[in-house]
Amino acid sequence: MTLAIVLVIAAVLALAAIFRIAVSQSLQVSRGANLTGQIQALDVEAFRNLVNPAEDDYLRRRLPSARFRAVRRQRLRAMAAYVQAAGQNAVVLVRMGEAALASGDPRTAEAARQLVNDALLLRRNTTLVFVRIYIALAWPNSGLAAVQVIDRYEHLNGSAMLLGRLQNPRAPLRLSVSP
Amino acid sequence: MLQAHSFLWHYLWLAPHVLQVALAILIWRRGLHKLFPFFLAYTIFEAIEEFTLYGMDISPTISGETYWRALYAGLIIEGLLRFGAIGELFLRLLRPWPALGRLGNRLISGTGAVLVLLAVLAAAYAPIDNPQHAIISRAHILEQTLFIIQCGLVLFLFLFAAYFRLAWNNRTFGIALGLGILSCEHMATWAVMASGALLNRRDLLDLFNMATYHVCVLIWFYYFLIPNGPATTSAVPLPENNLAIWNRELERLLQQ
Repeated sequence: MTLAIVLVIAAVLALAAIFRIAVSQSLQVSRGANLTGQIQALDVEAFRNLVNPAEDDYLRRRLPSARFRAVRRQRLRAMAAYVQAAGQNAVVLVRMGEAALASGDPRTAEAARQLVNDALLLRRNTTLVFVRIYIALAWPNSGLAAVQVIDRYEHLNGSAMLLGRLQNPRAPLRLSVSP
Repeated sequence: MLQAHSFLWHYLWLAPHVLQVALAILIWRRGLHKLFPFFLAYTIFEAIEEFTLYGMDISPTISGETYWRALYAGLIIEGLLRFGAIGELFLRLLRPWPALGRLGNRLISGTGAVLVLLAVLAAAYAPIDNPQHAIISRAHILEQTLFIIQCGLVLFLFLFAAYFRLAWNNRTFGIALGLGILSCEHMATWAVMASGALLNRRDLLDLFNMATYHVCVLIWFYYFLIPNGPATTSAVPLPENNLAIWNRELERLLQQ
């Protein structure tokens, strides 16, 4: 009987989750209008400094071990904030790209497809890097390669730019702050 | 009215499957059998299976043992077809986006493996509530096992799509929503039946299952009748920005 109760509760929770997702899908139409306002411009150079292994090596050499771990954790938290913002931007771009997919212009549709694919890859990478950041927070002395995320983000900038230019040559989209 | 062999009971057993025949014809006529072959096969098989079982149930010449054996065989085939239909949905959702292909396949394989393990454990701990007619208890446990796996897979499908904000088209969304409601409700009722609880209320649980199935068939029908645009669309104006700065950044990156 205990097993049945557990399964009934699990079924109710699963059904609630499915309904919630289904409803949020249909509400995306009304929220869609403000998508561009949700994009946060990111300073790629600052992020690149944060993930630079040479900076970590320098700090490791110059600081006492306990102090290094504290500084490293602060840098990792800052890194997590950047990665989270990049992931959120990827989500917004997926939705913008999907909205542009229906465009009658084949070049715009192709650019939108490329943008969505790149944004999905960024979303995937940010998720994986996020996990690694939290592992590194537990073991601050371990290495962490977030370079893939920067590369993907920069590639995504190119895709967003192309789509922006095709849709509206006078008003392209910016995802990050230039140095 | 809420008893076996009442008018409502006959209606709920037959009506959804009459609708499924119409749905199968609709899918075939619109050429959608190429897009959803497993779902179509499931729809046709389910209708044939239920008409056969209904005939066996009301026929005085068919023994209970024969009926349950037929149901048992049907359960296995319909379960496999439903898994095929879920795989089809996942494929349709992921196919346009190669960036997620490998990750998606790995995740759904892993989720499937964990769900099979959990479902087998649940089956191992489920009691045989009616030792004199063990085949009935085993059928309940088989239903519970299939729906645990199916419910988990459909939930995973929804969570995966929501996490990556993947756009569903109407038909894929409708099939997934129907399968989701069906799986969750059936998992709960078959778990209760497999546990041996509510022995005096089995008719009510059967009616609840049949009514839910009827709703799910109506959902599938609705989503196959409406135009197949994306389930969500939004016209998004792109913001004003500084093209020169971006060009400089891209040139700098190209020179690296």
